[in-house]
Amino acid sequence: GAPRLPLRQRLAVAGAVAGAAAAGWLYLRQQKERQRRSRRLQQLRQVALGQGDFQLQDTAGTPRSKADFLGRWVLLYFGFTHCPDVCPEELEKLSRAVELLERDPALPPLQPLFVTVDPERDDAAALARYLRDFHPRLLGLTGTPEQVRAAASAFRVYVSAGPRDSDGDYVVDHSVLTFLVDPDGLFRDCYGRSRTAEEVARSVRGHMDAYEPLPP
Amino acid sequence: CSGMAAPTKAERKACWGARDEFWQCLDSHGDDAAKCEKLRRAFESRCPQQWVKHFDKRRDFLKYKKKLETEGYSPPEAAGKS
Repeated sequence: GAPRLPLRQRLAVAGAVAGAAAAGWLYLRQQKERQRRSRRLQQLRQVALGQGDFQLQDTAGTPRSKADFLGRWVLLYFGFTHCPDVCPEELEKLSRAVELLERDPALPPLQPLFVTVDPERDDAAALARYLRDFHPRLLGLTGTPEQVRAAASAFRVYVSAGPRDSDGDYVVDHSVLTFLVDPDGLFRDCYGRSRTAEEVARSVRGHMDAYEPLPP
Repeated sequence: CSGMAAPTKAERKACWGARDEFWQCLDSHGDDAAKCEKLRRAFESRCPQQWVKHFDKRRDFLKYKKKLETEGYSPPEAAGKS
């Protein structure tokens, strides 16, 4: 018969086999984990691009979609130039928040955006005129009524134009929200009327500090 | 006809100023609009019609809110409690 190994050696072999099996199992589990993560990241990337996308034009007439702003943080507000008080106040606040964040050179670039909910009156020229009073880098976006409707819908922003008066003037009722979008195009936060500029800046900074980019 | 272009920053400030003066007058006359006619007219002349309507509604809302707040805090009357 075949010589039998002494007990110590048999244990050693059994241990080595078990160890190899364990190592193999761990490796397979890691591979599975890696694949799962990669799939999830791919999904996230698709969601990021599809979620809150828009096809609009800036005040220079250049077509702009969300893809144009990837790599930058974005603070985006929906409003209209004939707005009695809310939009100027929110834009002042947005401008001030951006200014506060700009003071720290270590922070990544932040792009403020204004999307009109009143494309009939707010063409490129009207937007340029209106936005002159706010942050110099605040970029205005407009488009056809369909494009604007789609953009508002993508961000779940309520928009409702009121009745026209004898001058043809009207106000547009709309959700008052400023959205924060990260450099991968994912929503991170939104800010309403009650947040101050300082609070918005603090919150954005917190998101920037916690941000981990999606691997390519 | 005016009202085609959106009010400029200066025009907004002028409108808001006129509104605030009108509202201050109302505040000091117990909301008696008859006592504040001149400021009302100034307010209406400095603001687009749509904004006047908007601010009138806002004033009503603010008054209502204040009423809720003050009445919410006033203690209930102790009527005939032993």
